[in-house]
Amino acid sequence: MSQPQLGPPPTCQSPEHTCGVSVVHEIIERYGGNPEMLIPMMQDIQAAEGYLPREHLRTLGRELGVPLSRIYGVATFYAAFRLQPKGKHTITLCMGTVCYLKGADQISAVIQDEFQVKPGGTSPDRKFTFAPVNCLGACALAPVMVVDGEYFGGLSASSAVDILQKIASSKKPSEAVAKADAKQKTAAQKNGRGSQNP
Amino acid sequence: MPTVTIDNQAFAAEVDETILQVAARNGVWIPTLCYHAALEPYASCRLCMVEIDRGGWWQMVTACNYPVRRDVTVRVESERAIRARRGVMRLLLARAPESPELRALASRLGVTQTDFPTVTEAEGNCILCGLCVRACEERIGTAAISLTGRGVERKVSAPFGEPSEECILCGSCAAVCPVGTIRLEVHGDEWELVPFGKKGPAQRCAACGAVLTAELVREALARRGPAAVQGILAGEELCARCKRKKLVGQLLAAGGSGAPSAPSER
Repeated sequence: MSQPQLGPPPTCQSPEHTCGVSVVHEIIERYGGNPEMLIPMMQDIQAAEGYLPREHLRTLGRELGVPLSRIYGVATFYAAFRLQPKGKHTITLCMGTVCYLKGADQISAVIQDEFQVKPGGTSPDRKFTFAPVNCLGACALAPVMVVDGEYFGGLSASSAVDILQKIASSKKPSEAVAKADAKQKTAAQKNGRGSQNP
Repeated sequence: MPTVTIDNQAFAAEVDETILQVAARNGVWIPTLCYHAALEPYASCRLCMVEIDRGGWWQMVTACNYPVRRDVTVRVESERAIRARRGVMRLLLARAPESPELRALASRLGVTQTDFPTVTEAEGNCILCGLCVRACEERIGTAAISLTGRGVERKVSAPFGEPSEECILCGSCAAVCPVGTIRLEVHGDEWELVPFGKKGPAQRCAACGAVLTAELVREALARRGPAAVQGILAGEELCARCKRKKLVGQLLAAGGSGAPSAPSER
């Protein structure tokens, strides 16, 4: 699966993201340079950077004498590691049975198209990370997505994109969508939120 | 010295030899796929399963990595062992249904088809035996590729799914691939390792232009090899035939009645 090529994160001036090399050295130091502590080191890199930048992994392998191929194998084995940076906002879209019947796949297609993002990936502008999930357990709100912990139910393809574009263009997501959201929340409450845990 | 009894035939064995080594040395065929004599046993393909006597019950073990410590009685051709190996082969066949090598081995085991859903060429035609990964790391010392991902997404890949920076196009992975999925393809002066996408120029004989190896292999040898090798590599790049010609020329030029007459060219 080819991921879209991402530019450096806004804070980094170096095209190869070498700015964090000292971070890697510090983390290696933390574990006394022991190659057996590879996974904790990778976890610390991810904690520091939000993901595992390629250049960090290269540095890690070089310093520890561990082949990059093995580090890559570990990084792809564990679901907790991410090789792509997380976007500013995380879209969790429910693909459960009810949401699916109510058009979640169309919403997914529109989001992918509009923000040039693949499932599990991040948009090139780093605004959104898109994570379709099997079920959010909020069938009464179907079709539903969660953006940065906030629920948006009763979506259509166009309303989902509207909400996301408002979030993208504002600094505080909750404020920007408060108005658009209020209407939907009321509707959702009317439908009864009791079935959130089916 | 322990005795390994295979299908009622007794063979002497060294301690810590594997059942497979004893069998192979004595002409008993046990099918293998992920085993290679030059590499550490890995026991991932499960095709070498045999039964051993545990006193009252028979245990299924993989012959390739089962070390002989004391006398052991083995059944290779028992009904249960044959059934187990055929079952494994049907699973493997589903992963690489288009491989002539695998089909040939399957038919030798008496398996002609698989009832499991097959994967397509696009999905790899790979049985994930790890031979390529181990040859690259253990023998070549490059470790350009590894088994990546997990579950149904597991596959052999170079870091980030891109052509490896470390790969030297030596072709060892292609040579050991038991299903013929990895190939070193020659497009004129450019070599390509399929399916990893690594490309590089061929190195040619300085005199006659015959292809010798990949340029990257020579560079790696010059970089990693012992000083003596580096000296040789620093010299003129000639194929075996041109080297011979040059040597003969030098000897003749050195002259004297004792010089050998030029051997006829092969």
